[in-house]
Amino acid sequence: MRDDAARRRTASRVILLPLVFLTVALLGGMRVTPDRAFVFLPPPLITLVMAALLASLFLRGRLVKLDAWLGSRHGVLVNVSHALTLIALFFASAQAFNSVLPEQGLLHWMFAFFFLWTLWNDQFSAFDPRRLLRSLGVLFGTAFVLKHMIMAGLSAPGGSWTRRLAGMVFEGLSLGTLDVPAVAPATGYISFFTLALYVIGLALVAPTPDEPGEVRLLLHEASRLGPTERRALREALEEERS
Amino acid sequence: MRHALLHATGITATLVYAGAIVWVYATQPRTFQDVTQGARVAAGAYKVDSARYDTALSLFHRGAFRAARGEWERADPARADARTQFYIAYAFYREGWGRLYHDDALYGQGLQAVDRALALTPAGSLIVDDPDLKMHTAAELKAELEKGRERSWGDLNPMRVLEERK
Repeated sequence: MRDDAARRRTASRVILLPLVFLTVALLGGMRVTPDRAFVFLPPPLITLVMAALLASLFLRGRLVKLDAWLGSRHGVLVNVSHALTLIALFFASAQAFNSVLPEQGLLHWMFAFFFLWTLWNDQFSAFDPRRLLRSLGVLFGTAFVLKHMIMAGLSAPGGSWTRRLAGMVFEGLSLGTLDVPAVAPATGYISFFTLALYVIGLALVAPTPDEPGEVRLLLHEASRLGPTERRALREALEEERS
Repeated sequence: MRHALLHATGITATLVYAGAIVWVYATQPRTFQDVTQGARVAAGAYKVDSARYDTALSLFHRGAFRAARGEWERADPARADARTQFYIAYAFYREGWGRLYHDDALYGQGLQAVDRALALTPAGSLIVDDPDLKMHTAAELKAELEKGRERSWGDLNPMRVLEERK
């Protein structure tokens, strides 16, 4: 039974997780034009920089313990498999940013600055994996709403006169530098699915690859105990051991 | 090693999927049909529609160049057959050829098609044995199309009207 659980965990880590991240990498750059044609945008250089900063946050926030994932205590096959998973995570991060980053114009640089500023500040904050996940959820969620709901709504052709007026005012305020490319509504749905998949993938990442899932839950619960309860727990464990 | 098979499966699946993603981004398919066609080309299972190809060839020989091009485009939607692309380029050449002047736009499209034909024959030059044609290689056709688009004093030579269409 225990061996079955270990096998399932390994399967999810070495097969499911890279495939989830690679799907994010595939869909993150996908756009659908108004004439229903696909366009695949490779990650711009700025998103690679963001992904590198995010990778550093993953290490600092202990979402990934690098020495537990890679090292001489594993065999070659395991190291290769883990390295591929981490590379897939890096490109998924880059493409998740690509998915919510406007393609061109002033907004592209505004969003990029907003992301870089947030990621840079986060480098100096104390994080645990759960807080980091929550923070990333908020970051991507905000960018998604801004790009795929507000900006797409304002730049969409047709619609009510108030919407067109708001779009014109917005364009005028930015001195015509917004330059939002027209995309089909399907692009927003693809982006939503991509981000959801990315967050699910991150939730599946274990800081230590071989650690059973229950241990993480127990550790989380234990971190919420007060000093007296912790002492009682420690005593109970020692009693059981003796 | 524990679960070695799982690790090997994971590595293989990851590499294959990553390769497919790189291919998608490199080839930029615009529709699902492009994806399936591209996959067939990559797997070597792609074939030109021979019935449409033959119809196009007979149209070409009868001088219906535009109709022939349309049929060839339908016969080779992935633009992956060198011979078909050669004929498409030839159809552009013949339609664009004029005794007094050549149509630059058609010659330009012909050049694009002949470049595709050349790109599809990396091993050597493409040779087409068709007695109706006066140029049998893609290289000759390309040179002729390029010459037709060049501007020179020779264009003003009245003897040019005696030149023959190839």
